[in-house]
Amino acid sequence: MVLLQLDPFLSELTSMFERSTEKGSVWVTLKRSTLKSKVKRNKMKTAGEAIEYRCLVRATDGKKTISTSVGAKDHQRFQASYATILKAHMTALKKRERKDKRKGAEADKKQKGPKKISSATKASV
Amino acid sequence: MVYITSWDDFAERSIQLFRADPESTRYVMKYRHCDGKLVLKVTDNRECLKFKSDQAQDAKKMEKLNNIFFTLMARGPEVDTSEVAGKEQMEQPAKKGRGRKQ
Repeated sequence: MVLLQLDPFLSELTSMFERSTEKGSVWVTLKRSTLKSKVKRNKMKTAGEAIEYRCLVRATDGKKTISTSVGAKDHQRFQASYATILKAHMTALKKRERKDKRKGAEADKKQKGPKKISSATKASV
Repeated sequence: MVYITSWDDFAERSIQLFRADPESTRYVMKYRHCDGKLVLKVTDNRECLKFKSDQAQDAKKMEKLNNIFFTLMARGPEVDTSEVAGKEQMEQPAKKGRGRKQ
């Protein structure tokens, strides 16, 4: 298990999604963690030190596991990039008909296009 | 384990579960492209909440839950998440450029 910086993690996650399109799954786990051992935590507790928690993010495709930790400072940037990656790769999910207009319009074109002028459009494209 | 069918129910209970025991609760997302399936799981090793979907609209709801969990885990379980859900849409375009991913 490799603990990566945020950006390398995101790009590795992207390639994980790309590698698993034919078969396989991708798992992403979020967990609140100190990234310290229990012994160390207890020591810090007795010493009265403040314990810093971070969000540990792990991703695996079943073969390779990567991880990163997100702190309070950078979680907003990370979650925005993460959301963008998910949006870009979760394309196999079903769209509800004309629920949102931009995507609905695209689907319409694909469905209706060939019906109207099937051979003509195909030839021109 | 039985899947929870209602999204709102799942989201609410999973946040409750996390708040009850922040240190041992994890949130797992599984995405299977070839079958077009998305499974979410929240567990503290005693109780397990799962949600399954093949709908793109649920991925959008998940994005909000992701943001809530990121906030709770990185900043602490006491943080108020009511403003998190709506905020992320505006944050995104501005922060994108710094990601340097692709």
